[in-house]
Amino acid sequence: MNVDPRTKLVIVLCLSTLAIFIKDVLFLNGVLLITIIISLIFKTNMLQILRKIKRLLYVLLAIAVIQSVFSAGGRTLIEVGELVILTTVGLQKGLEFVIRIMIIILSATIITTSNSREIVQGLVQWKLPYEIAFMVSIGIRFLPILIEEIKDSVIAIQLRGIEIEKIPLRERFRVYSYLFTPVFVSTIIRAQKLSMSIEMRGFRAYETRTSYTVLEMSYTDYLVIFSSLLCTSALMYLYVS
Amino acid sequence: MVKLLDSIGLKSVNFGYIKGKKIIKNIDIDINIKDITCIIGPNGSGKTTLGKLMMGILRPDSGEIYLVGEDIAEMSLGQIGRKIGYLFQNPEKQFFSNTVEDEIKFIPEIKGLDKKYIEEKTALLLDLFQLNHIKNSFPLKLSQGEKQRLALAAILVNEPGYLILDEPTKGLDVERRKVLVQVLKKLHGEGIGMTVITHDYAFIDQISDRILKMHEGEIVEDKRNER
Amino acid sequence: MIYPIEVNDLYYKYEGNLREILNGVNLKVVEGEAVAIVGLSGCGKSTLLYNICGIIPHIYKGEARGQVKIWGKNILDMKLPEIATKVGIVFQDPDTQLFSPTVENEIAFGPENLCVAREEIGLRIERVLKIVNMEKYRLENPNSLSGGQKQLIAIASVLAMETEILLFDEILSQIDHEGKIKIREVIKELKGEGKTIVLIEHDLDNLQIADRVLQLKDGKLEEFKDGETVGLNRA
Repeated sequence: MNVDPRTKLVIVLCLSTLAIFIKDVLFLNGVLLITIIISLIFKTNMLQILRKIKRLLYVLLAIAVIQSVFSAGGRTLIEVGELVILTTVGLQKGLEFVIRIMIIILSATIITTSNSREIVQGLVQWKLPYEIAFMVSIGIRFLPILIEEIKDSVIAIQLRGIEIEKIPLRERFRVYSYLFTPVFVSTIIRAQKLSMSIEMRGFRAYETRTSYTVLEMSYTDYLVIFSSLLCTSALMYLYVS
Repeated sequence: MVKLLDSIGLKSVNFGYIKGKKIIKNIDIDINIKDITCIIGPNGSGKTTLGKLMMGILRPDSGEIYLVGEDIAEMSLGQIGRKIGYLFQNPEKQFFSNTVEDEIKFIPEIKGLDKKYIEEKTALLLDLFQLNHIKNSFPLKLSQGEKQRLALAAILVNEPGYLILDEPTKGLDVERRKVLVQVLKKLHGEGIGMTVITHDYAFIDQISDRILKMHEGEIVEDKRNER
Repeated sequence: MIYPIEVNDLYYKYEGNLREILNGVNLKVVEGEAVAIVGLSGCGKSTLLYNICGIIPHIYKGEARGQVKIWGKNILDMKLPEIATKVGIVFQDPDTQLFSPTVENEIAFGPENLCVAREEIGLRIERVLKIVNMEKYRLENPNSLSGGQKQLIAIASVLAMETEILLFDEILSQIDHEGKIKIREVIKELKGEGKTIVLIEHDLDNLQIADRVLQLKDGKLEEFKDGETVGLNRA
C-alpha cells in the first residue's frame, strides 16, 4: 500500500502505545492480530526480519521465562517440593511480555517499507530539523553496515587459513581479538570518509536547503491516520472500562 | 559429472543477492588450477561474485562447485583458505594487525610455525613487495598501492596452492605493476595457478593463459591467450 | 590575474609523521584548463587534492605551511560548505561516498544543499544519469550496485552540483573499458564547458584529456616530460 511515511509513523505509534498501555493477555492478542494484519497489508518482510533478529528473539524468550519464574501469585502450576516455580500470574506476565515485544517489533517493520530518505523528509515536514533527521538516518544506515563489516572480517580471517572450529578455546580468543582492530578502525575511517564526502557535497552550506523529495498527504493518508487514532482511543476506552 | 582433480569446477551454478535477480546465471566451467585465468567483463557483470562463489564466501543458490574434486559445500572457509589465497577488492577488509610486519606474521604464529622460519619468510616478503620502509606503519593508513602489496604478501606467507585475486592492479602505478607481474609470473613458475579478476588489459596480455569474458552473469567468451 | 586554483609554496605533514609529504608545491591552474597529476603511489597526490578542496586543514589536521587559494580567496578563510559550492571532488573509493537509499536521492543531495530549485534538480538528475549511462538504475539502492557502478554514481552526484572546479582522484581505476571511454568523453565535454579540472591518473591513455601533465616527485610538482614513464601505465 502506498501511503505517506508519516501515516506509517502514526500507525506504529498507535500500535506501540497500545502494546505498552494494555496489560491484558486477551486484549494484547487482539492488538497483535491487528498488527499482523496491517503488516500483511503493507507487504512487510515479516518473516525475513524475524529471521534476522533470531538471536534477539532467544534473548527475549529467556527474559520471558525468567519473568514468569520470578512473578508469584495466582494458582501454582509447577512446583518442586516446597519451591514454587511457575504460577498462573507468572505465566501471564511472561506471555504479556512476549506479545508486547512482538507487537513493537512487527509494527516497526511497517516503517521499513518506506526508504530512509522519505522518512527523513516526513520528519522534516513535521518540522524536525533536517540535520537531526539526516544524522539519525545515517546512523540507522550504518548499523547493518557495521554488522556486515564484522561478518566480512570473520570471513576474511578464516580465508587466511584459520580453521576457527579447530583452534583450542584459549587461542580462539586471540584470533577474535584480531577482529577488533579492523572492525573498530575501519568504522572510524569509514565515518571520517563519509563525513568528508557529505561536507564536500555542501552539507549545511546555507541556512535552508531545498528538497527533491516532497511528500504530500492524500485523502487516504488522512483517513488512515484518523481511523488509527479513533480505533486506538476506542480500544483504550474499552480496556479501561 | 567428472570430478577433475586439476581444476576448480562449477556445475550449473546460479546465484543472486536478491530473490528473482540473478547475478550468476547457470555457469558451467572448469578452471585448470595450473593456468592463470583472467576474468574480464563490464562493471556489474558478476566477476567479483563468481570469485566469491569459487572461494566459498558465497554459497550458490543452486549448482555445485568442486575444488580439486572436493565439494566446497562440505568445506569450511578455513579449509578453503588453506588451499586458496584470496585477495579482496578492498584489501583493507583483510587487515587485522597494528603493523605491516605483524600483518604478515600473525597467521603463521597462530598456526604455531617455527619462529625462525616465520622471521625469514616475513623478511623475504617485505623485501619482495617493497614494504621494508613501512614495516612498522599501521596497515589501514597505507596508500591504496601499499595496501594491495601488503595484502598479497600476507596471503603468500600461507603458501597457498592457488590464488584468486580481485583487481590486484587497482591503484598500482606502473613500477609496482611491473613488480606484481614479475611476482605473479614467478609464483606461476613455482606451480601456483590463479584466477585474476581485472580490467587491466595490458596486464591480461602479459600474464593470462586463458581469458573468460563475462556479461550479465554469463560467460560469453572463453579463449586461450598465447603469450 | 586571479586563478581558479592557486597553490603557493605548500608544505604539509600528516599528524604523527616525521617527513613532509608535500615539500613546497606550486601550482596555478587557469580557467577551463585540465591538469593531470602523476606520480608514484603514496607520493602525496591525494594529499594535494585534499589541500585544494579544504579537507586539509578543515577535517584532517596536521602541519601545513604555504597558501591555497580558490578564485583568489584563501581556503583558510572559507568554511567547507562554502568551498563545496565552488569545488567538487570525486574520491577514489566509491563505497564511502554514497549514503542515500536510492541513486536519485544520492544525486539530489548536493543540489538540495545548494538550494537548487526542485524542478532544476529533477532535470540535473536526468542529465547526469545520462552522462554516466546509468538511467535505468535511478531508483536502485546504491549499495546493491557493483564497485564500478557505484563510482559512476559518485561522479554523477558531484557533477549534479555543477561546480566550476572539479577534482578527480583516480576515478577511472575501477571503471570498465567502455565506461572509461565514456567518462573520458565526459571530462572532455566538461572542459569544453569551461570547467577547471585537476585529475590524478595512472593510465597514460587517460592523460590525453589533460592540457598539461605535472609530476609530483619528492613532494614537489614538476613539469612532466613525455617519454618518461614514472608512475604511468601504457595500456
